[in-house]
Amino acid sequence: MNYFFHILIMIAIYLILTLSLNLLMGFTGLFSLAHAAFYAIGAYISTLLMVKMGFNFFLTLPLAILGAMILAVIIAIPSLRLKGDYFLLSTLAFQIIVFSILYNWISLTRGPYGIPGIPKPRIFGFEFKEIPQYLILAGSIALLISLIFKRIYFSPFGRVLKSIREDEIVANALGKNTTKFKISAFIISGGLAAIAGSLYASYVTYIDPTSFTLDESIFIISIIIIGGAGNFKGPLIGTIIMIFLPEILRFLRIPDTIAANMRQIIYGLLLIIFMRIRPQGILGEYKFE
Amino acid sequence: MIRTNKVSKFFGGVKAVDNVSITFYDGKINGLIGPNGAGKTTLFNIINGFLKPDEGEVYLNDLRIDQLYPYQIAQLGIGRMFQDTRILGKMTVLENVMLAYKKQTGENPWKLFFLNNKVKKEEALIKEAALKWLKFVGLEDKINTYAENLSYGQQKLLTLARLLTAGSDILLLDEPTAGVDPGMIPIILKLLRNLVNEGKTIILIEHNMTVVLEICDWVYFMDEGKIVCWGLPSEVLADQKVKEAYLGLRMIIFW
Repeated sequence: MNYFFHILIMIAIYLILTLSLNLLMGFTGLFSLAHAAFYAIGAYISTLLMVKMGFNFFLTLPLAILGAMILAVIIAIPSLRLKGDYFLLSTLAFQIIVFSILYNWISLTRGPYGIPGIPKPRIFGFEFKEIPQYLILAGSIALLISLIFKRIYFSPFGRVLKSIREDEIVANALGKNTTKFKISAFIISGGLAAIAGSLYASYVTYIDPTSFTLDESIFIISIIIIGGAGNFKGPLIGTIIMIFLPEILRFLRIPDTIAANMRQIIYGLLLIIFMRIRPQGILGEYKFE
Repeated sequence: MIRTNKVSKFFGGVKAVDNVSITFYDGKINGLIGPNGAGKTTLFNIINGFLKPDEGEVYLNDLRIDQLYPYQIAQLGIGRMFQDTRILGKMTVLENVMLAYKKQTGENPWKLFFLNNKVKKEEALIKEAALKWLKFVGLEDKINTYAENLSYGQQKLLTLARLLTAGSDILLLDEPTAGVDPGMIPIILKLLRNLVNEGKTIILIEHNMTVVLEICDWVYFMDEGKIVCWGLPSEVLADQKVKEAYLGLRMIIFW
């Protein structure tokens, strides 16, 4: 049963990541390759504050969000003046820089050795130690973020983001400062991704930079492309499928070394098939062109 | 009042707008006519900030606006209807129109969560305003369909409802009646007249000369980037240069 709960926890964490990226990709129509970087920033800020300074998890959470948001501002202001592909390239650069710093700043992050012994969240003497308890925590946070997402979806703010995706010139002609809105979306998206990072770090209790590579960014993008962008159900179904899929391979008794490669091949194939025959994903409202 | 002073815009070697000094007066329907490629739409793009003029200035009353961003110009009360409808396809008809409402508190993500009640009350007002105009253009039973599923004429009406919900004082209309159901045209024209009577200013690009004659207070005729002549609609349409441009050889070749 714990094995099943473990998968549900991973779904909750990835749901936070996909919903936050959906704010950029699905709402605003901006592709970002830097989502794993924000995920990493959340994980590392929480971890370092807990391990080195003995902070409580729930205190590190807002600081992780804040840290990711500040970094989002730093990258957003120069890059969002760029258009289309150039924006994508600048997020790629940001992703690589963050990874390199985590990998090479050994005195702070221990680089490739990673940081072990991350404590579990603890509140009023209660520790989220066992897997079912952690599921309640991760599930509640994922639910909260889903509600925030829903509020944005049906709000004037979300409406402007969608109009930028549909036709930025019209949004401008209607008096919307689209650059400002894109920066806001980028900041919120980064801040929410950091929450997933904090949750992940204190769940697995060990992090190293290889969990936050460019591949991870691409994986999160794939979830949205396969599930569908723009609404809530698309990212949800995408997350469930993409997290469950490798587990099915496990049941087929394929050896781990082959399964790892198989997984990459299947992800790749799925992406090609979806882009080709169903560019709006399984339940999305928006087609990628 | 919108005034351009010796405005020019070049695309490569072509002078799309050539030394145009023109004044669009408040409380009037100002017609802007001329053959295809005369530079009318380019002039619109300069007025609402999508293009920066290579020479000259644009003023709103006494405020110079040609260095502002398009969204700032829109916030000053200059609204624009595009020639190609430019609807937001994957948004519902209602969303398309509600988007246009000016100064929405809920557009600020922090206020959205911390002033939730204020945002909700305001949303109700915005929805009411949007529904009023959607009903006016006859799209009230389509509010939940994606805008891309409307016919061309309906999309045009949608952009009209969008513009009216924005509540701009100066309306730049690029062929508002093109492709619209003929039964709808007199209603739109009556609306435009009412808007002007309420104090709004309309600048209208129009190819349908019956419409121009019927509704415009003042007409500018533009050809090859220049303002060739201006005056009352009946005078301008009777002008020899206008007749040549519209009926002469050049247009026959063009067709």
